[in-house]
Amino acid sequence: MRAAGIDIGSRTVKLAVIEDGTTVLARKALTSHDPLDAARTLISGVMYDVIVATGYGRHLVKGHLGCPVISEIKAFALGAKAIHPPCKVILDIGGQDTKAISLNDAGEMSKFEMNDKCAAGTGRFLEIMANALSYTLEEFSRAALSAERAEKINSMCTVFAESEVISLTAQGAMRHEVALGIHKAIVSRSTALLKRIAPSGEVFLAGGVAFNECVRALIAEELNRSVVVPTDPQIVGAYGAALHAATLEEGKGVK
Amino acid sequence: MNTKIKPLINDEYTGEPATKRVLAHLQAKREEGKKIAGVYCGYAPAELIRAMGIVPATLCAFSNATIEAAETVLPANLCPLIKSSFGFIITDTCPFYGISDAVIGETTCDGKKKMFELITDRKPTYIMDLPQLPDEKEALANWTVMIRKLQTFLETTFKVRATDEQIEAAIKDTNRKNVMVRKVMDFAALTPPVVNWQEMFDLTTLCQGSTGKEAAPVLSEALRILEERRAAGYAYGPGGAPRVMVTGCPVGGDAQKVFKIIEEAGGVVVALDACSGFKPFMMDIEEDTKDPVRALAERYLKIPCSCMTPNTRRLTEMTRIIDKFRPDAVIDVVLQACHSYNIESHKVGEHVQKNHGLPFLKIVTDFSQSDVGQIRTRVEALLESY
Repeated sequence: MRAAGIDIGSRTVKLAVIEDGTTVLARKALTSHDPLDAARTLISGVMYDVIVATGYGRHLVKGHLGCPVISEIKAFALGAKAIHPPCKVILDIGGQDTKAISLNDAGEMSKFEMNDKCAAGTGRFLEIMANALSYTLEEFSRAALSAERAEKINSMCTVFAESEVISLTAQGAMRHEVALGIHKAIVSRSTALLKRIAPSGEVFLAGGVAFNECVRALIAEELNRSVVVPTDPQIVGAYGAALHAATLEEGKGVK
Repeated sequence: MNTKIKPLINDEYTGEPATKRVLAHLQAKREEGKKIAGVYCGYAPAELIRAMGIVPATLCAFSNATIEAAETVLPANLCPLIKSSFGFIITDTCPFYGISDAVIGETTCDGKKKMFELITDRKPTYIMDLPQLPDEKEALANWTVMIRKLQTFLETTFKVRATDEQIEAAIKDTNRKNVMVRKVMDFAALTPPVVNWQEMFDLTTLCQGSTGKEAAPVLSEALRILEERRAAGYAYGPGGAPRVMVTGCPVGGDAQKVFKIIEEAGGVVVALDACSGFKPFMMDIEEDTKDPVRALAERYLKIPCSCMTPNTRRLTEMTRIIDKFRPDAVIDVVLQACHSYNIESHKVGEHVQKNHGLPFLKIVTDFSQSDVGQIRTRVEALLESY
């Protein structure tokens, strides 16, 4: 039996297909202005017996594919637990949401916190700031890692922070030091969210931002806790949805 | 809704916003020659107002449409309820304000207090100084004086009088109404509930705008229909649906998106713990005391609003509601920039999770529809965990 999970995020659509608990296919595409089309393209030609949707576009896809949906919080909880069984605390920094999730001993979600409704402190924030400094995302992270000191960024609103970055560069601030300041700002915001629900313990880092080496290093440093990053932190939600799809199929609709 | 069922209030306003029915009621009163006093808040002592033959009218405060106009004067980063109220007044679009002959406000929160300063020149307005440490012994004495001063204001403005006997009669009338409203709520405490949030909201809205005597026939009919539903085995919501208690800031009009999202996520709203819900009906006013105004002051000071400190009564009242309505989860709705409810949410969350073992979710929102997706994700995650 092949079970699929599709995670329609704000920036990226992810698809995972599993067979007997093993991932047999993982695909990604940019969400674009037409998430439904992006999702359709991603699943075209893919064989599966059952599919579950998650992510902010889940209800859109549900209407078109007639598939069940789960929230991304549940999807990340399921995916993280399966990838890393001792997992108790998840920090997912995605395109427009940051989520901190704590799990109980049975691996079920016990508490969660999300960022405010704006994109402050998310992947989108990093993208816009990289752009303001004329970096690609890869260059941006590397530049920040190379800085020995950071310019302090005070605004967390994406628009205000962009103005702040422009003022700093206009004052002659070093570009890579501004880059480090931006990384520190997003990390302090995410870790504050995390500390509210889980003051201690190992952290499972997921979401596209987990690819950013500087963010990973700063999170470990700021929390002084060990941080586990899966091979593909971006697929965790789609994988969790696929796991859920598999249980639906096995239990024939019983949760 | 699993079947087509008989509405609780069956009249020409069935299916329309509850405020339309109340407006028609007030317009009829006005044609009879009655004076109308516009009120903004649950602290306005309705019994005193009614004892003078004046009709209290709750003013508009829940629409996103008037916020843009309000922001030409008020800061954008302010509570939507205050912005909406003010926007209704300056655009002259609140029919309740239009037919009000006077306005009564209270010093509940800073935003309201300062907003009132901007509208006092439009109509005769009386601002009551609300004590905010309700358990201090002076609070009761001060609030009693304040209600008496409101009485003088209304008597002077409208050339009417209220005797203590008339105030006592209005107290008894409210108590009778509250008993009946609580009987309606009892049907939400059933498993499964047989009354939905919209019906409770409509009934409480109507009852806040009418006397016990006026509301009695509607309430008796609603109780009869509910009894019929129970006997027929009707259930509100899908079988085994998680029961949700919604607490916090008043939720009406455009903010009702939260209730709708809870229902769409498969939950049923069984308790509305806000001034726009159960709060005005949960407690009675002591009858046959030497001083009916003091009895009023005592009751009104017990409203567990976050403007009070310490607002321990909020938690004890929540426990009472949780024990009776047995929610599976509690959602605290905080309106953007409402500092007192926002800060108090921490205590509420601890209370709900530690003392009752219930999952808890705080939602900070405004009257726009821009955050519906984000709220949906949070609510679905909360209900999935149940």
